Amino acid sequence: MKRYVYINDDSLAQDLYCDNRISNRKYTIWNFLPKNLWEQFSRFMNQYFLLIACLQLWSLITPVNPASTWGPLIFIFAVSATKEAWDDYNRYLSDKKANEKEVWIVRQGIRKLIQAQDIHVGNIVWLRENDEVPCDLVLLGTADPQGICYVETAALDGETDLKTRLIPSACMGIDVELLHKIKGVIECPTPDKDIRRFDANMRLFPPFLDNDVCPLTIKNTLLQSCYLRNTEWACGVAVYTGNETKLGMSRGVPEPKLTAVDAMIDKLTGAIFVFQIVVVIVLGIAGNVWKDTEARKLWYVRYPTEGPWYELLIIPLRFELLCSIMIPISIKVSLDLVKGLYAKFIDWDDQMVDVETGTRSHAANTAISEDLGQVEYILTDKTGTLTENKMIFKRCCISGRFYGNENGDALTDAQLLNAVSSGSTDVIQFLKIMAICNTVIPVRSKSGDISYKAQSQDEEALVRAAARLHMAFVNKNGNVLDISFNASLVRYEVLDILEFTSDRKRMSVVVKDCQSGKIFLLSKGADEAILPHAYAGQQIRTFAEAVEQYAQLGLRTLCLAWRELDHDEYQEWASMFKEANSTLVDREWRVAEVCQRLEHDFEILGVAAIEDRLQDGVPETIETLRKAGINFWMLTGDKQNTAIQIALSCNFVSPEPKGQLLMINGKTEDEVCRSLERVLLTMRITNSEPKDVAFVVDGWALEIALKHYRKAFTELAVLSRTAICCRVTPSQKAQLVELLKSCEYRTLAIGDGGNDVRMIQQADIGVGISGREGLQAARAADYSIGKFRFLKRLILVHGRYSYNRTAFLSQYSFYKSLLICFIQIFFSFISGVSGTSLFNSVSLMAYNVFYTSVPVLVSVLDKDLSERTVMQHPQILFYCQAGRLLNPSTFAGWFGRSLFHAIVVFVISIHSYAFEKSEMEEVSMVALSGCIWLQAFVVALETNSFTILQHIAIWGNLVAFYVINWIVSALPSSGMYTIMFRLCKQPSYWITMILIVAAGMGPVLALKYFRYTYRSSKINILQQAERLGGPILSLGNIEPQSRSLEKDLSPLSISQPKGRNSVYEPLLSDSPNATRRSFGPGAPFDFFQPQSRLASSYTRNCKDN
Amino acid sequence: MSSEDDSSQPTSKSKKPKYSRFTQQELPSCKPILTPGLVIGILICFAIVFVPIGLITFTATENVVEIVDRYDEDCIPLKSPDNPENERVGYIRDAGTNKTCIRTLIIPKKMKPPIYVYYQLDNFYQNHRRYVKSRSDHQLRYPSHASETKTCEPEATTNDNQPIVPCGLIAWSLFNDTYRFSRNNTSLEINKKDIAWHSERTRKFSSQVYPKNFQSGNLIGGAKLDETKPLSEQEDFIVWMRTAALPTFRKLYGRIETDLEAYDQITVIIQNNYNTYSFSGKKKLVISTASWIGGKNDYLGKMYMAVGGTSLLLAIIFTFLYLFKPRPLGDPTYLSWNRNRAAVRES
Repeated sequence: MKRYVYINDDSLAQDLYCDNRISNRKYTIWNFLPKNLWEQFSRFMNQYFLLIACLQLWSLITPVNPASTWGPLIFIFAVSATKEAWDDYNRYLSDKKANEKEVWIVRQGIRKLIQAQDIHVGNIVWLRENDEVPCDLVLLGTADPQGICYVETAALDGETDLKTRLIPSACMGIDVELLHKIKGVIECPTPDKDIRRFDANMRLFPPFLDNDVCPLTIKNTLLQSCYLRNTEWACGVAVYTGNETKLGMSRGVPEPKLTAVDAMIDKLTGAIFVFQIVVVIVLGIAGNVWKDTEARKLWYVRYPTEGPWYELLIIPLRFELLCSIMIPISIKVSLDLVKGLYAKFIDWDDQMVDVETGTRSHAANTAISEDLGQVEYILTDKTGTLTENKMIFKRCCISGRFYGNENGDALTDAQLLNAVSSGSTDVIQFLKIMAICNTVIPVRSKSGDISYKAQSQDEEALVRAAARLHMAFVNKNGNVLDISFNASLVRYEVLDILEFTSDRKRMSVVVKDCQSGKIFLLSKGADEAILPHAYAGQQIRTFAEAVEQYAQLGLRTLCLAWRELDHDEYQEWASMFKEANSTLVDREWRVAEVCQRLEHDFEILGVAAIEDRLQDGVPETIETLRKAGINFWMLTGDKQNTAIQIALSCNFVSPEPKGQLLMINGKTEDEVCRSLERVLLTMRITNSEPKDVAFVVDGWALEIALKHYRKAFTELAVLSRTAICCRVTPSQKAQLVELLKSCEYRTLAIGDGGNDVRMIQQADIGVGISGREGLQAARAADYSIGKFRFLKRLILVHGRYSYNRTAFLSQYSFYKSLLICFIQIFFSFISGVSGTSLFNSVSLMAYNVFYTSVPVLVSVLDKDLSERTVMQHPQILFYCQAGRLLNPSTFAGWFGRSLFHAIVVFVISIHSYAFEKSEMEEVSMVALSGCIWLQAFVVALETNSFTILQHIAIWGNLVAFYVINWIVSALPSSGMYTIMFRLCKQPSYWITMILIVAAGMGPVLALKYFRYTYRSSKINILQQAERLGGPILSLGNIEPQSRSLEKDLSPLSISQPKGRNSVYEPLLSDSPNATRRSFGPGAPFDFFQPQSRLASSYTRNCKDN
Repeated sequence: MSSEDDSSQPTSKSKKPKYSRFTQQELPSCKPILTPGLVIGILICFAIVFVPIGLITFTATENVVEIVDRYDEDCIPLKSPDNPENERVGYIRDAGTNKTCIRTLIIPKKMKPPIYVYYQLDNFYQNHRRYVKSRSDHQLRYPSHASETKTCEPEATTNDNQPIVPCGLIAWSLFNDTYRFSRNNTSLEINKKDIAWHSERTRKFSSQVYPKNFQSGNLIGGAKLDETKPLSEQEDFIVWMRTAALPTFRKLYGRIETDLEAYDQITVIIQNNYNTYSFSGKKKLVISTASWIGGKNDYLGKMYMAVGGTSLLLAIIFTFLYLFKPRPLGDPTYLSWNRNRAAVRES
């Protein structure tokens, strides 16, 4: 499908395409309620609670006032609806602002001011300097005589440099007056979201002559949300409007990510649900039997002899309602609340602020903080993520001579400086290419200094270096470049730019020397894209060696080459190039092919080496996280040698002999297969040895491996803790993430550039570095941080705490719900299994929503270990990774505790309030206050660190319980009028409370103490060590130094523990990859069989709990 | 947000939230850990506090004098195994028969007033759902709400749709045995004033509401009410309306306000009207004094002593464990990653 846009034609195509009204809203005023309710009710939990609430309206079966469910339900719905409404309202406001912005457009040949939302496709829009582009435009004219304008595209792709945009050749030279009357047609593709492509054609109608078709590219467009800069005015015709713009199309709602913790909570909820059904069925049957055998004899109950047809269902349904509180209605709200706070803690963290740029860390996704603590694989980009992406020209090799090898900086190398001043031709030509062969724009500030705006950091580094060597690129005026060399001005005209693409891996410019009129082709690019195209007879060995040598040092290399062109050759080629540029289909490929025809017979001038420094703290961060049991994969587009060098320098892999790198390479299927088998074999053998084995694979081999040997590669991926994948494409990065995810590993992808976006979106957690390659990655990511080293804190501090806190909070929510539900069930045994509720409606509602949820919310401040301890003992993260704190077995513990506490509360209440005191309301309040007392002490016992807020919440809640009940007891209309006052006056009430607390907490305390001291987990040991103060002996402080793993062995660790006997459980003795070994050599390929996967996740979760 | 931060440093600096200990999660905190000293100390404290309280409570309840007399079996001429249940029920339902029954009780110890007289029902489910819901609090409280009987089914209205006041099963099944006490042939005064809670008489049961259409149907449940007295003065009724949570319960019948000496012979003339025979319930007459902790219920005392004893036992066990099998707290050698490294190095 194509879209035909008739320029400046008010009658045509008006209604065919949408207007420019931007709408990001989910709801309107009218559909908000139904749509929002529908969305909320698509969740199973909500459906369940709605069913319960509806059943409660049936007074025959409801044990309590329907308000006890409707109240919380409506409250919870109101909270989420309000949040949605607020978000939507904000979206509406920002839309409204954009829609009502005033813009100038041309109507009937006159410029008019209208609101942005009224722009239609085909309208001509006028922009002034610093205006925001309201919709996607094709440029028609600018203030610049050359037809150039500058735009800032930061909002679109995050790149902060200015980009040049060019008017189409057909519009060249049309004056302002005529632009108002211009007519024509643009043939363009249907809207898509590719912001780097726009393959269209334009034809102007007479009298604008030129019946030719004029090709349009992305260079001729102004996209929505960009800003016009350094240009007085520009005008263009709207081609895509409203939500059909490139920006609008790429604005998708990302799929919500579900954390492993959420999945586990859902699983536990399911289990509780099944348990509840079983209880209901058992009690329902028992109730019916009791009714028919016993209750009919109770004359005072007066059971009718003939009941309605549904009579048998009544008692089970009553129990269903009675037991519905087993599933805590408040858990989702509490979790949303605390997750929001976790995210805020990340935003607020002063230790994760990049001081250089003042960038704070930001959690864009507030729902997945727990997953940070459960990361098993980190896939990282190299450039800009591990390195600073601050390119500095360091060395070069010009026609066989090495510069900068002695002092490490070519710019201060005396030899090079001499060569420049003596005017060595090769060196001058080399510098010229450095200065010209690029798309850099020099910007002269008022003070006369020149700064360079470049799309590529490499180009900027080269231009800067050339300027330091007196070959300064001083001005760019349209296509004319001014180079000042030793105070003399040289002028070149750029005829064509053969752009860089990742396939071609080189870029070239065709320039004409304005003095001599000679035409040159200047190229720079990767070695394999330049060296093979040298003219026959040129010795390229020295260059190849130079490339090799520089790569060994971890430097990025660029080969520089040139050739003089004949006029005829150029003319012939230029027409081909123009034609290729105007094709609509496969334009990129055709352009590349045409470029190929010119780029040959190069004279190689030399190799430039650019250093990209490692970021601060990268080796330490990788080391710490590796110790925490996280596996690292480096995915980079760089070449193998550079990647390995960087990997070595940042502790990614260990040097020989401890480390071993296994290469997977090959160009054909067979080679790759053989190499893969070999690596796999080595990997299996060495797996038991304490060796650091990593495999290295390049993009080509990876593609073959993923296509044909997926199983083998998966096994390799599972066996290997470290991998380096070089020369991989963005989609391969995403594929690797997908592969690891399919093995049920939790992956974190971290990157900084646009090429990492897919990987970041694919991974369980995406982290973006808001760095120099723009904000694209940071925008797509769940978390954005300023520097790689903050990852350590993000995972070990924020991730770990979030996981621990959520694990406690969720299990506690189940505990308290089960506690009160068990009491109700026990009570039904002494109330004739008739489904009487012991507690009144007010108490039940307040119990779930208020008494028990407030104190536990403060557990978001709990810290089991101090941040310092965790940083020193990153291994402790294993508890989170393996899900040790929230799994069926810990849950069973909480289940048992709630059963025990229910028995304690129930038995003590009915015995101490027996006979003349067995009044319903009093017994009910005694049991309820028993629950409240117990839960206060349970929270206190499970709290590791008490801040003032915890004390306020726990003990304040207890006080609030009494205050609230006193208030309710003072109301004559309430069922419990005077009850609480009566109870509080009785000594037996307080004695009962103390007894409940002692009998309930004593055994729990004793058990906890026993486990804490004699079956202590690693967390307990560290807590003890922390408490005892003094230095925590073991690994020493790893922060400042320790690059090699050898240093980690503390002298202390040699001594064998004395009490190494049955008491000791080797919790961590098998390292995290024990899971992996479990399907090692024996079962190499059965990884995708479901049972083995189940088994693997089982071992992972249940490893000696 | 970060985009703005990127472009200009000074603004981002000013936008920084002020450093606070809360936002940095650095609120001062105390981290108690379960050291042997702390835990053993707590357990010993439990023992020290609980055993004496238990003893005090226990002696208090032991000093309570309580006489429990089950009379339902003896006060019916038809004995249980010989006579089928329906005959016994027929007997008790028959309004014509004389159900007077005389019991003699011996006071074991001197009893000082206030001496409480309770009736105890066993196996009577006042907490049954059908039963406990069958009442209308509005009707009892407001004279104008007499027709609010929706919740009272199946005892809501008479056959000609007149609202029953008080309606519902609880009121309908009002206990109707009566006791008359005499000591040494002189009658013993039973004070039936103030046996119901004050708050109930003033707030829950109106002095404007009079019984109406009560027990007028074919099926007679329990006692009838005096239609000339307002509900707030019918204290037996108010006591009955406070439903019990357990199937065994006692309800206050009255108070004896004179001393009862040891070996006094008390004769009780019981009108045995209430039907507990159809559901094999029990009826007991209870005469009891009270202590500060309540009646003769030694459960709390025993539990306190048990909890105290167990705590002591646990404290001793933990002390022995601590002395003979010490395990140093926070010993880094217990961290298995250290040990693994050590093992690796040795091998």
